[in-house]
Amino acid sequence: MPPLKELAKRPERLTSGHRLCAGCGAPIAIRLILAAADKPVVAANATGCLEVSTTIFPYTAWNIPWIHSAFENAAATITGVETMYRAKKKRGEIDEDIYFVAFGGDGGTYDIGLQSLSGAWERGHRFVYVCYNNEAYMNTGIQRSSATPLGAWTTTSPVGKVLPGKTQWRKNLTEIAVAHDIPYVAQSVPSNWRDLTLKAEKAFHTEGPAFLNVLASCNRGWRHLPADTLKVNQLAVDCCIWPLYEVENGEYRLTYKPREKKPVEEWLKVQGRFQHLFSPAYRYLIDEFQAYVDREWERLLEKCGETKK
Amino acid sequence: MERILMKGNEALAEAAIQAGCRFYFGYPITPQTEISEYLSRRLPEVGGVFLQAESEIAAINMVYGAASTGVRVMTSSSGPGISLKQEGISYLASAELPCVIVNMSRGGPGLGNIQPAQSDYFQATRGGGHGDYRTLVLAPSSVQELVSLTHRAFYLADKYRNPVKILGDGMLGQMMEPVTWEAVELPSLPPKNWAIKGKNEGERKFILCMELDPRELENFNRKLERKYQQMAEEDSAWEIFGEEDNPDLLLVGFGTVARILKSVVREGKKEGWRLSLIRPITLFPFPYNEVQEMAQKAGKVLVVEMNLGQMVEDVKLGVEGKAPVHFYGRVGGMIPTVDEILQKIADILRGEGRK
Repeated sequence: MPPLKELAKRPERLTSGHRLCAGCGAPIAIRLILAAADKPVVAANATGCLEVSTTIFPYTAWNIPWIHSAFENAAATITGVETMYRAKKKRGEIDEDIYFVAFGGDGGTYDIGLQSLSGAWERGHRFVYVCYNNEAYMNTGIQRSSATPLGAWTTTSPVGKVLPGKTQWRKNLTEIAVAHDIPYVAQSVPSNWRDLTLKAEKAFHTEGPAFLNVLASCNRGWRHLPADTLKVNQLAVDCCIWPLYEVENGEYRLTYKPREKKPVEEWLKVQGRFQHLFSPAYRYLIDEFQAYVDREWERLLEKCGETKK
Repeated sequence: MERILMKGNEALAEAAIQAGCRFYFGYPITPQTEISEYLSRRLPEVGGVFLQAESEIAAINMVYGAASTGVRVMTSSSGPGISLKQEGISYLASAELPCVIVNMSRGGPGLGNIQPAQSDYFQATRGGGHGDYRTLVLAPSSVQELVSLTHRAFYLADKYRNPVKILGDGMLGQMMEPVTWEAVELPSLPPKNWAIKGKNEGERKFILCMELDPRELENFNRKLERKYQQMAEEDSAWEIFGEEDNPDLLLVGFGTVARILKSVVREGKKEGWRLSLIRPITLFPFPYNEVQEMAQKAGKVLVVEMNLGQMVEDVKLGVEGKAPVHFYGRVGGMIPTVDEILQKIADILRGEGRK
């Protein structure tokens, strides 16, 4: 990876002037990822905050070729573009090496877009799929998704006498990607720019499908101050709720190990969406949350060969 | 009698609960997400089930499953989401399963925008999916009517064993109006002997939507046809507003546009024009006869829609060439104003309006 000074000199591919909220984690992640591409990039975008807020016609914040069609099919759309490119290259109509990337939120990736993503992985297209995961449908106003963690308040997992917010644990999409046996899968977070940039560079250099699952906070939905985005994101990593790891050709590697594994409470307490968990009636959910995290973390350490023998 | 200021989407959701709907399968899309949000809070309170699916396709097929057991069930969406549901809606119509499908439609085609439009008229009234089938389509024009027609939608769904669509738009879903909550009386319905309840009682039941023998499938299609004819005979609904006899011009509009046309009728009076409005409340079945009768009285017809001209085709089918039919449409989420329509009427009455 080139030094930061060099990276900073690369042209901005997602420019200022977009209308994403102050404190949104998504554009931070996208800019870091695109800065890691050392060749031209073509992007597809699923419907969502990122798509809507960056492309209010006749304006666009994208300095690269960009395509959007619907909500459930960013992976299929980039498949079409990448296939056209390979055909043209084969016929000698294009010489240049071009990277292809698809961006989707967790709704467009974990839920409605999973079918087309799975298809594209299985066919083995050379593309990077980036899920900017803010753990709910934020564009329509904070509805639960299968990436929303246990106990989180959303407008469709309400908190009251009957319900304690979302009653299910989140889907582990990163492991679903690994199960497709694609050459590169990684989890990252914008608060660790170096980790994210390195993984993005590896993803772009991968001959075949690569998947980056990037936790990117939405302060409107998570209910924290806009200035705290990176702090809240990093806490998820330090509480081992969002471990930073990669799987290269089936080989697991932990890319960041917190010096001290913090209790999940520290992450939960800084977000309004979990405040009800601190009332006596729902405190048991914090223990369940911790148990889920511990179990996933232990399994991951084992896969990464990090467990003490 | 309780009178409450309510948002259209929330009033519809509450009306569904009062109509006995205990199962709702949704997926977020603007401008109807409040229906999901409201029901996620309210359904658990009344022992019902709110379920957010992973896609609209999943949601409509959940409706198929629940409707097979004979319960009252609803889903809601907008434009792009309704398109994704079409395969399931065709299957529901074929399996003759009652359910209510709400479309708070928005500007299209494609992703379009989230402003109100009536551009899903064709999709709603012609079935929408593949095959020869129709769904009843109710077109509310106020928040109060979102309530009454939701009750009616569940009743009609059960009466005909057929999906019923409520075709609103972003404006009706998002606006707030006072709603009077009163007991709704609807005719009684026969028991759902066809429903599969897994109780091992009575004869073995089948709910099918496949018939490989073409003769049998033709018989089935004829049966559906008779059902659609019965809908037209017994359940088409409309409202007439303004001049009943000898109007100078007949206005035709549904939903949001009909509200504007009522203002046009009133303003037209100040110009000395005798205007009449017919507002189809059921878009399928469409009140063809009543439109023709009124059109013959008026001699001139103006259809106003928030699309490029969809219901105007049904109006022409109804009028059968007995009066010239003019059209005025705004699209893309733009809402026609009273002044624009008055101008159009002035042109027609002066003989300058293009048909």
